[in-house]
Amino acid sequence: MGKILNLQQCRESAAFISKRIDGVPKVGIILGSGLGGLVYDIESPNIIPYAEIPHFPASTVEGHKGELIYGFLKGSPVIAMAGRFHYYEGYDMAEVVFPIRVMKLLGVEKLIVTNAAGGLSPDFEAGDLMLIEDIISLLPDNPLRGLNEEEFGPRFPDMSEPFDAEWSERIKSKAVELQIKLKSGTYIGLTGPSLESKAEINYCRIIGGDAVGMSTVPEVIAANHLGLKVLGISVITNESIPKIAKEFTHADVVDVAQRSGRKLVELVKGILN
Amino acid sequence: MLNSLTYFRKNKPMRQEPSIDYAEQIQYAFDHIHHIYSDPLEVGIILGTGLGQLIQNIDIIKEIPYDEIPYFPVSTVESHHGRLIIGKLSGRTVLAMQGRFHYYEGYSMKEVTFPVRVMKKLGIQHLFVSNAAGGLNPDYGIGELMIINDHIDLFPENPLRGKNLDELGVRFPDMSEPYDLKLVENGIEIAKENGLKVHQGVYAAVQGPNLETKAEYKYLRTIGADAIGMSTIPEVIVARHMDLPVFAISAITDLCSPGNVKKISISEVLAAAAIAEPGMSLIIRELIKTL
Repeated sequence: MGKILNLQQCRESAAFISKRIDGVPKVGIILGSGLGGLVYDIESPNIIPYAEIPHFPASTVEGHKGELIYGFLKGSPVIAMAGRFHYYEGYDMAEVVFPIRVMKLLGVEKLIVTNAAGGLSPDFEAGDLMLIEDIISLLPDNPLRGLNEEEFGPRFPDMSEPFDAEWSERIKSKAVELQIKLKSGTYIGLTGPSLESKAEINYCRIIGGDAVGMSTVPEVIAANHLGLKVLGISVITNESIPKIAKEFTHADVVDVAQRSGRKLVELVKGILN
Repeated sequence: MLNSLTYFRKNKPMRQEPSIDYAEQIQYAFDHIHHIYSDPLEVGIILGTGLGQLIQNIDIIKEIPYDEIPYFPVSTVESHHGRLIIGKLSGRTVLAMQGRFHYYEGYSMKEVTFPVRVMKKLGIQHLFVSNAAGGLNPDYGIGELMIINDHIDLFPENPLRGKNLDELGVRFPDMSEPYDLKLVENGIEIAKENGLKVHQGVYAAVQGPNLETKAEYKYLRTIGADAIGMSTIPEVIVARHMDLPVFAISAITDLCSPGNVKKISISEVLAAAAIAEPGMSLIIRELIKTL
């Protein structure tokens, strides 16, 4: 039974990145499926492929690149992950959240997490943006299981407010100002990679989910453990059961996410200055 | 010359690489304890977070640190001590675990429930379990008690997964009545007689270790839970596998019902457990008298 992760490995990764970027990022951004477009808005980008970073896992999903981009968004020093690690790819939870811990060591104080999610709420349409207000973990493992690393956070971190209230309010006002429709709701994290059956979608709705996906939850848990302020946004890529008329593929997800990606980029930029 | 204990500590088998099978590990742990105390044991007690006070009511005969017992896991939580206590409580010979093993600590379910296997082999006839839990039922208040009358297992692993040890129990143990309803009834009666506020309800367990989100609390309430925690169910499943009658009781240490959720720390949980502790100790002591 080892530590929940090797602190030394996080430090080595962070030291490597620090040397390469010559700056201190304040905001970390995780770009979900099809949302990689944000990287083109980052000024003076310094790109580090995951493969070059010691101990970094490598992304295996199509639509996810596998690069860390350091630069400036509206003047704020940011570090973005183009490509994230999912539990369904076979990584263990310590690997999935490894980059979050490295970001913290680099100096990141706030984390923006984005994803593509299936809509459960009948109010949602494909292409909508949803501010994640809360999460339900239905994952079979927890990134904090094992001996606690006190340097990262407490044994039993509170999760009564997993997302930063002030930041969430700010993005809501920004959405009004920019006339971007921003809905809000609860995100349920499942293992996948199979998409949900209609019965499972129904179950997720009954227990209070508005959107369902295969990422984000482990990262949000780890970020809360680390004391990071978190903002979460989902791009709703398909509608809830009664409207499902056809089979859904990963290509559809990427397509919808890319089309809505622009709105998301504008919102994120809007709250950074 | 090394004394035998030092020798054993140095040569204690690594938990990660069990060289012998589970039944043999149980046997080794049993032998060690039985060698220290060989008279019959009647009641097993597992004490949860912040609820170790009952120990003070036990006339202690022997104390055995976990790290001296072969194949016993070692507790990693600050508020758990980690020793077996043999003694007299309410006229019975009891075997109490001070400090338990949680799944979130990284133990496998086989490790979490190992002590229950050993306790049964040592002869206990009843198992008493306590825990600290969050109250989901809006009628519950901090520091109140809930006698568990059923549970919902949301752990991702089951202690009985794998080859069934037929000498310990059946492949598909019944769970229609995991908690001895006679003991539940008697417990409620004892509480009433002593003017204690006590509820009875359904305990759900998740793996933790992070506390739940508000959305998760709502979900757990929706599926029928009255209290939520991170322990107890694995031990109860294993006890029932061996047909051991169980009584379990939760101290409600924080409120998880809509509108009541607030940020909470382990120190607040411990403070609330301390409020509940005297009543819980009383119910267990009185209940043991009725056995």
